Amino acid sequence: MKELFPAKQVMGLVFSLVLTLVALLVHFTDMSFAVGMTILLVTAFIQAFLQLVVFMHAGESKDGKAIYTNVFYGFIIALVTIFGSLLILIWDM
Amino acid sequence: MEFFERFAVPHPSPMIYASMVAIGLVVIGIVFGITYFKKWGYLWREWFTTVDHKKIGIMYLISALLMLFRGGADAILMRLQLSSPDMEILDAQHYNEIFTTHGVVMIIFMAMPFIFAFMNLVVPLQIGARDVAFPRLNALSFWLFFAGAMLFNISFVVGGSPDAGWTSYFPLAGNDFSTSVGTNYYMIAIQISGIGSLMTGINMITTILKMRAPGMTLMKMPMFTWSAFIANVIIVFAFPVLTIALLMGTTDRLFATNFFTTTNGGMDMLWANFFWVWGHPEVYILILPAFGLYSEIISTFSSRNLYGYKSMVGSMVLISLLSFLVWTHHFFTMGQGALTNSIFSVTTMAIAVPTGVKIFNWLFTMYKGKIRFTVPMLYSIGFIPLFTVGGVTGVMLAMSAADYQFHNTMFLVAHFHNTIIPGVVFAMLAGLTYYWPKFFGFMLNEKIGKWSFWLLSVGFVLAFFPMYITGLDGQARRMYTYSEATGFGPLNLMSFFGAALMAIAFVTIVYNILYSIKNSPRNIGNDPWDARSLEWATHTPVPEYNFARLPQVASSEAYWDAKKNGHKLFTGELKDIHMPNNSGVPFIMGIIFFVAGFSFIFALWVPAVIALIGIFACMALRSFELDHGRHIHVKEIKEIESQYEGGAK
Amino acid sequence: MKLDHTQPLEYSTDQNQLNILGFWIFLGAEIMLFATLFTSYFIFEGRTGSGPTPAEIFEITPVLIETFVLLTSSFTIGLGVHAMRLGRKNAMLTFFGITLLLGLVFLGVEIYEFMHYYHVGATYQTSGFTAGLLTLLGTHGAHVTLGLFWGLFIILQVKKRGLTPENANKSFIFSLYWHFLDVVWIFIFSFVYLKGMM
Ligand code: HEM
Ligand SMILES: [Cu+2]
Repeated sequence: MKELFPAKQVMGLVFSLVLTLVALLVHFTDMSFAVGMTILLVTAFIQAFLQLVVFMHAGESKDGKAIYTNVFYGFIIALVTIFGSLLILIWDM
Repeated sequence: MEFFERFAVPHPSPMIYASMVAIGLVVIGIVFGITYFKKWGYLWREWFTTVDHKKIGIMYLISALLMLFRGGADAILMRLQLSSPDMEILDAQHYNEIFTTHGVVMIIFMAMPFIFAFMNLVVPLQIGARDVAFPRLNALSFWLFFAGAMLFNISFVVGGSPDAGWTSYFPLAGNDFSTSVGTNYYMIAIQISGIGSLMTGINMITTILKMRAPGMTLMKMPMFTWSAFIANVIIVFAFPVLTIALLMGTTDRLFATNFFTTTNGGMDMLWANFFWVWGHPEVYILILPAFGLYSEIISTFSSRNLYGYKSMVGSMVLISLLSFLVWTHHFFTMGQGALTNSIFSVTTMAIAVPTGVKIFNWLFTMYKGKIRFTVPMLYSIGFIPLFTVGGVTGVMLAMSAADYQFHNTMFLVAHFHNTIIPGVVFAMLAGLTYYWPKFFGFMLNEKIGKWSFWLLSVGFVLAFFPMYITGLDGQARRMYTYSEATGFGPLNLMSFFGAALMAIAFVTIVYNILYSIKNSPRNIGNDPWDARSLEWATHTPVPEYNFARLPQVASSEAYWDAKKNGHKLFTGELKDIHMPNNSGVPFIMGIIFFVAGFSFIFALWVPAVIALIGIFACMALRSFELDHGRHIHVKEIKEIESQYEGGAK
Repeated sequence: MKLDHTQPLEYSTDQNQLNILGFWIFLGAEIMLFATLFTSYFIFEGRTGSGPTPAEIFEITPVLIETFVLLTSSFTIGLGVHAMRLGRKNAMLTFFGITLLLGLVFLGVEIYEFMHYYHVGATYQTSGFTAGLLTLLGTHGAHVTLGLFWGLFIILQVKKRGLTPENANKSFIFSLYWHFLDVVWIFIFSFVYLKGMM
């Protein structure tokens, strides 16, 4: 039975639960928008990274480099699109 | 009867009725011809069910040429209408429809399949592979593109064409101002073929990353493969944006949502924003493979290796990133602040730098080379000065303050035709001439080819350079007529003559193909141009399995090494070759997508739901299917190879 | 078919490796797909027209259930892949089954949530905000729904044909898909719900 629950994955779950609870602080306590957003950004990106490395085994094969490049390229273009659009259509309109 | 009224064209004219009759007759003729010559079985076995990248490439090529003529017919009508003041060949509504379909057909259904044709034909051969990574998916990509193209092309005889421009800006494209189903066609036909493009992107990237011949590291890939790789990276990250934008446009039109409306919190400008987040990368998707073809051709016909290989690769990688950072330059006038416009002005000008690096590399390749002035080389040499003019006017447009003057005038129209025609269209024609012998086993006639080149170039200059002037004088784009007092008349007449010359050039190209089918010699060997990369190292025409033995590579010009420096390309024993099985499912899925698309366009929900279920059923079937492909055995390979060696062909 | 026994079963053939890399690239495209949806949501967040605002319609309880259910399912499918690599077919099937059940619970709660929105007057047609919200959530939900069918097909195939290289490959790729949906949900949870209720 024990071999079915590897420590790495269990730790992964525990860690992502903790991160979720931290993120929930934003809802259940009183804090400024800036602080709240910072917490959310940090917890969300750490969790995403956790999934990628621990659960999705992104780096395990010899294509690991291509896979990471692909994902980071995607993230960069995604952020450019999101923030660029917000700049154009809301912040600088 | 009421049911059928929705399929009527809302704004008919004798021209449209004539087209209906013509389309009907042609379809009947084709069906009758195929039946009479008993070719259905052949078509099904060899083409509809094929998963062979070469045949798929040829189908893309034929489709692209057909669409070139459809888009060209639109173009010549527009130029005729504008050839003198107050013409009445087209009314405003028809003019709107025609510039819309012209743009969409040329970009989505002509240029895209053209580059996909060359990617399919050339990339696996250049990297020494037997097919692409996912041959079945490749076939599906093609049939989705084809379904989208056919859907879009029936719009003008069934229900009416889209008329809000190829950019389809809202609120004009919303239900209030575009009342016919035309814009539904736009949204859904592009969606279907866009899904196909996305799948090609994934397929090609995987192929290039994983299936290169032994010894071919990334920095030893031929330049066309590099350009295809980068273009596909852009496809994978740009097309999902279009997918979502089209989805939102569709729900706005069909389900009354408020994405791009001007009420209830909708934001019409978000469409323009998303359209260009996809749209600017899209122009680089088109131009990069063209650059790749020019690189191959210029180095072959200068009898020199490509100058500055590393900077060529570097500039393309840079372009792939920068192309996502400039989209606002398409709507500098939309009302965002000076800060935004300044940022995007700078990024736009920056993108001209890597493009300029490439121009110099081509010039240096030719410098001190022994240039052979063949038809592909003529197109490449013509491209360099003409495209530079397009780039320079692009930088003019990139200055946001100045763009308030240029935007939406004929100056802009001149700019982008000046980049797309010498950039993309010339490259496609050069590539067509260059690769024709590899796939069809005979050369196109050089003499006629040279005529086509000169007609096209002179025609191009006559047709588009006057627009820079009328544009600066204030002639707006997308206006169906103008008065004599504007003084635009003479220059527009000149444009018409230019367009007519271009039309003649395209006719000579068709004539050339027919002439060469009949008259060209068939014993041309594997390497008629004395070329440098692997695609020329195999037989002509290419056997199904591409290479009997996989080639060994030590540089980006492996075949040249083999010819001149004693490099051993093919070593070792023949082995059984594993090939994928043919399948009819992609073709059938294409048909179902067509039906689904058509039903959505006309809001016919019952067939729409049935077709969607059909699509999911095909996917489920695929999940359960066991398909291990088949093997071509050594004995068979030997037979095929000996046929080539005996010169039987 | 050449088998490479030094690698886990799901990587053991050339085609298997192509499939895995190809799917990762597809996920790259999915990142952009959801990025576009997030962009539109952020743009529309404050554009509620005459309809309700985010804070007026969001409820924390269903969101919490959805979040914990999906997080757990991401864990269980990770265990499923782990069991598969140990060659423990039955354990793997159990974990995959649990994953799909959790997915079903998630979907059930999401449907409840959508009905709630409908009742409080936040329909697809109400405003830019509701359209943006429901398209973002709906696209994610549609992915989960598709995943339920896909996962079911894979369970059936593993049952019928055993842990072949092909089935192992499909299962692994499915796990990538499922984890990815969890990642997307983390962003929805943080930047749609928590931000909206802040
Ligand atoms: C040196 C590089 C380039 C620069 C700096 C540049 C700049 C620009 C700018 C600023 C505009 C918008 C002008 C306006 O709307 O007022 C524009 C439009 C356009 N460009 Fe370029 N461009 C470049 C290269 C290209 C290339 C290589 C292509 C195609 C292969 C291309 C195709 C287009 C198209 C299709 C449009 C406008 C379409 C429309 O509004 O319908 N450009 N360009
Ligand atoms: Cu642009």
